[in-house]
Amino acid sequence: MKIGTIIIQILLIHIFLLLAIGLKQLLSIPLPASMIGLVLLFLALVLKIIKLEWVEQGANWLMAELLLFFVPSAVGIVNYNEIASWQGVEMVFIIGISTFIVMSLTAFIADWIVTKKGEKVG
Amino acid sequence: MIIVLVTIMTYVLYRFAKQLNKNSKIPLFHPLLFTPVLIIIIIFATHLSANTYLDGAKLLTHMLGPATIAFAVPIYKHLPVLKKYLGLILISITSGSLIAVFSSFGLSMLLHLDRSFSVSVLPRSITTPIAMEVSKDIGGLPTLTTVFVIITGIVGGMIGPSVIKRFAIKTPIAKGLALGMSAHGVGTNKAMEYGEEATTFSTLAMILAATITIVWGKLLIPSLIGLL
Repeated sequence: MKIGTIIIQILLIHIFLLLAIGLKQLLSIPLPASMIGLVLLFLALVLKIIKLEWVEQGANWLMAELLLFFVPSAVGIVNYNEIASWQGVEMVFIIGISTFIVMSLTAFIADWIVTKKGEKVG
Repeated sequence: MIIVLVTIMTYVLYRFAKQLNKNSKIPLFHPLLFTPVLIIIIIFATHLSANTYLDGAKLLTHMLGPATIAFAVPIYKHLPVLKKYLGLILISITSGSLIAVFSSFGLSMLLHLDRSFSVSVLPRSITTPIAMEVSKDIGGLPTLTTVFVIITGIVGGMIGPSVIKRFAIKTPIAKGLALGMSAHGVGTNKAMEYGEEATTFSTLAMILAATITIVWGKLLIPSLIGLL
């Protein structure tokens, strides 16, 4: 029963994807359709055009299994011979260090502002 | 037929990796690292071509679209929190996205990488579709950028929990913003382990980081590339 609900809700989310694709072509918006779809679904929820319960379970499933949808792109790395070189190793090193710097500094900045404001956040 | 086969195979292996990762807590079993490795081994062992697999995986890749749209739900649910912390979010993500561009640029300058690598790596910390757009915009190779985005996600998902623990990051707000800023959707997926508030802030960070990086792509990155 729950699987059925999830599938129907994912189909409903697809309607927003289709709307976004249409809108993108119509107005030639320079953003990916999925981002436009996100804004559309958000507006539909805020304006009470659709109810949260109509999409919540489907959306939760999609977000929880997000990594699954990235797997094929990760497999696609085998098509890049450049990666299997010394430069590829250096690249992974650079990305690792840079990601670490970005993550820790962003965390520090945000934590510092929250604590400074002295606001309790649950 | 191949789509059904590939989808089922990928799903089963992904479940297996996820379970293994959950039980063992070994970063090597991260689903986005271990699953592709298993699949690549299978591809080579069965002499299948990688493109046959990628063709069959179209349905899975397609789901990235609806999955991105789904992030409207946590944003909507936490709208009052978003309004309250708008300034904090803007400051954190503006700094975070600048740090991402400058550190990637500085390190690749330091190691004298090829121009195509140094340019394509600049939008690496944001979500794939937008990273590809920015890459095209600044004269990088969008496909190479996709590879760097994926590597960023894998690294971010793996080091996230230890960074948060080591540096004693306390608030769910900071945890979420840091994960979404540094590792886009994969980081946001990790943020779900820290609760709904962290997920919301991670989602907001991911979206805002992508938007702000589009601006850097127009204003800042061209002059950086001029230094190469």
